[in-house]
Amino acid sequence: MTRLLRSPAGACAMLALAWFVLVPLLRVPPLILPSLPAILRDAFSVWPALLAGFLITMLETVLGFLLGAGLGFGAGAAFAYAGWLERAMLPLFVASQTVPVIAFGAIVVIWFGNTLFAKIMIAFYLTFLPVTVATIRGLQSCDPERLDLMRGFGSSAWQRFVKLALPSAAPVIMVGLKIGIALSLIGAIVGEWFGATVGLGVMLLQSLYFEQTARVWVLIIACGGMGATLTGAISLTGRRFIWWRPG
Amino acid sequence: MRRKRIPEGQGQPCRAAVPGSPALLELVRVSKHFGRPPHQTVAVRHLDIAIRPGQFVTLIGPSGCGKSTLFNMIAGLLPPDPDGTILFGGEAQRGGALLGRVSFMPQKDLLFPWRTVLDNATLALEVEGVARRTARARAGALFPEFGLQGFERHYPHQLSGGMRQRVALMRTFLFERELILLDEPFGALDALTRTIMQRWLLDIWARHRRTVIFITHDIDEAIFLGDRVLVMTARPGTIALDEPIDIPRPRDAEVITSAAFVAIKRRLLAILERESLKSFAVVPP
Amino acid sequence: MKMLISILPACGAIVVLLVLWQMAISFFGVPDYILPGPTAIADSMGHSWRMLGSSLVVTVEEALLGFFVGAVIAIFLAILMVLAPAIEVASLPIVVALNSVPPVAFVPLALIWFGLGIWSKIGIAALSVNLVVLLNTLGGLKTPDSAAVDLLRSYGAGRFGVLWRLRLPAAMPALVTGLRIGLPRSTIAVIVAEMLGAYTGIGQIIYQSTAQVDYLTVWAAIFVAVVASLVLYGILVAIDRKLVWWS
Repeated sequence: MTRLLRSPAGACAMLALAWFVLVPLLRVPPLILPSLPAILRDAFSVWPALLAGFLITMLETVLGFLLGAGLGFGAGAAFAYAGWLERAMLPLFVASQTVPVIAFGAIVVIWFGNTLFAKIMIAFYLTFLPVTVATIRGLQSCDPERLDLMRGFGSSAWQRFVKLALPSAAPVIMVGLKIGIALSLIGAIVGEWFGATVGLGVMLLQSLYFEQTARVWVLIIACGGMGATLTGAISLTGRRFIWWRPG
Repeated sequence: MRRKRIPEGQGQPCRAAVPGSPALLELVRVSKHFGRPPHQTVAVRHLDIAIRPGQFVTLIGPSGCGKSTLFNMIAGLLPPDPDGTILFGGEAQRGGALLGRVSFMPQKDLLFPWRTVLDNATLALEVEGVARRTARARAGALFPEFGLQGFERHYPHQLSGGMRQRVALMRTFLFERELILLDEPFGALDALTRTIMQRWLLDIWARHRRTVIFITHDIDEAIFLGDRVLVMTARPGTIALDEPIDIPRPRDAEVITSAAFVAIKRRLLAILERESLKSFAVVPP
Repeated sequence: MKMLISILPACGAIVVLLVLWQMAISFFGVPDYILPGPTAIADSMGHSWRMLGSSLVVTVEEALLGFFVGAVIAIFLAILMVLAPAIEVASLPIVVALNSVPPVAFVPLALIWFGLGIWSKIGIAALSVNLVVLLNTLGGLKTPDSAAVDLLRSYGAGRFGVLWRLRLPAAMPALVTGLRIGLPRSTIAVIVAEMLGAYTGIGQIIYQSTAQVDYLTVWAAIFVAVVASLVLYGILVAIDRKLVWWS
């Protein structure tokens, strides 16, 4: 039963059921929490824009994520093996994470204009650090006894990296990727606030200005759906390749 | 042809290795210090050992006497102190030259959990550069002999401890080198499994006939398996006794209670007990 | 003292970075609206320090309050869930669903519900922190294996005894990790919320300065926000050592 609830589908179903039943039952005012049918009606009324927005935002998120994850992995590998590099640069990277997203968003739009590329940059910026940190931690936690075993076979450093360090680090890197994609989504949405015409972030802003509570909830659900889909996609990929217990 | 020099004793006579065939592995005055004075520890001191090809040599000693350090040096993972030399095939080996030349099995099986049993067995071959298909074929042929037939596609966590040790042994045997180092491979097994594994190991060795150095802390195992037993002293480790075992092969289970066996065991016990007590005694500063 | 020495390389790197920045600006003649130099920013900061200062105070207040509220509620809920597993099962769908939605999607909702005052920001901060701390603490509380729990029970410990003596100390590392992740998130959440609608606060300043094309102030505000975040983070790291002294 717990397993069913823990699965995203199960949780959604339960939640939808509760929402559908409880809101009219407890007579919750629509300004606080609209009823499920009202939300569905609102979603349907704007479904072309909703769909287009969903796809655009997803595109920004995925592209930013791929860029951030790719470079993050490369940087993490470099930092893991060059200690001096890590000591000098890592604190800077951690500090860069505290730069509030919107501050960065304003700057990025100033630099790159109101383009897809700008949004991707913001998403990339947010993905980069978690993936880097996870890669470093994963690679450095490689079992030293297994390293010695490989050395005893006369292996080269590259062989040790590919056959041992990388598989060992995979579970940790996977966690970092999940964090990264969630942050990438945030970056995409906030990036859209600085001037875009299509996108979930844009619609979110509009619903705020026009105080459309039902629309806000539609978008919350849409964003949640995207977040769940993306994280789920990464989990599934991970499970196909990374299913072993550390031993 | 090198003659084995009688090493400086620790009060016990060492029998010289039989001269004649050239030694495959020779340690000349090999020591290992760790750290710097005044906190320096000496793991092993002035080891002089010569191993002939095809021998099965067992190495026994009290806990902490440096057995594993010795193995790490022979495998090329640790350099000996500068005043000692390790010779392999008659040539001195310097600075990690031994890496990849000796087949080393550490105490833990260290199987990779993300690889199947078959791919774990072929790990060393892969590193060597053997093509995957060839390596897998070679390993697959050994599975019946090692009692693992049918487990090729299983993963390590699905195997018992004894089976994982056998996979590690298979990995070690597939890495075809003249010298094999086995560091307490049966230490984690229960007594019953251990006796079965011992007889099975001798069987395999008789067929493949490599040179083996086998570390154990079990006297019965040391005498049962070996052509020759080396006894190490407590730290700093050195060779206290080098005893040939003239019990004929093949050896069956009853040999353990034979007179010859017991005589050797008595001699070993005396030395081992004395050396073991040293690690418990208070060492004067 | 040791802590101060350990941050020296990072400080050195920052100084080098600032110097290079200033030199590059002067050398390439980069216009102010693209990227001002550190001296220009410092100058701007000097001029508007009163405004920046008061806004920073507001933002930090909101972030800290939100952080505490969110963390306390999260820990309380986690303990509740461990003591009464039925609660965990019942609330699981909500937690899973909430976790999938990027926190920024809730900002319009918070603004509609709580208006433009500080409470909407505190609410968003609390939400961002809550989920992270809750999941981490829950995981930490569950780490002790059944053998350890049985041992305590054999001594006559009840559920509270087990909680107090075993689970809570075991959960501390995970809890503190959750807190460390949560604090920057609360700061960012507050600033993002301020941007969309607030009377004061660093986020609002950044938004207005961007609208008024006063980029120097934008950078000055960013700088102030970063420094504040770093200080808060440093405090947390210091507390971390105190709370989890045995790891």
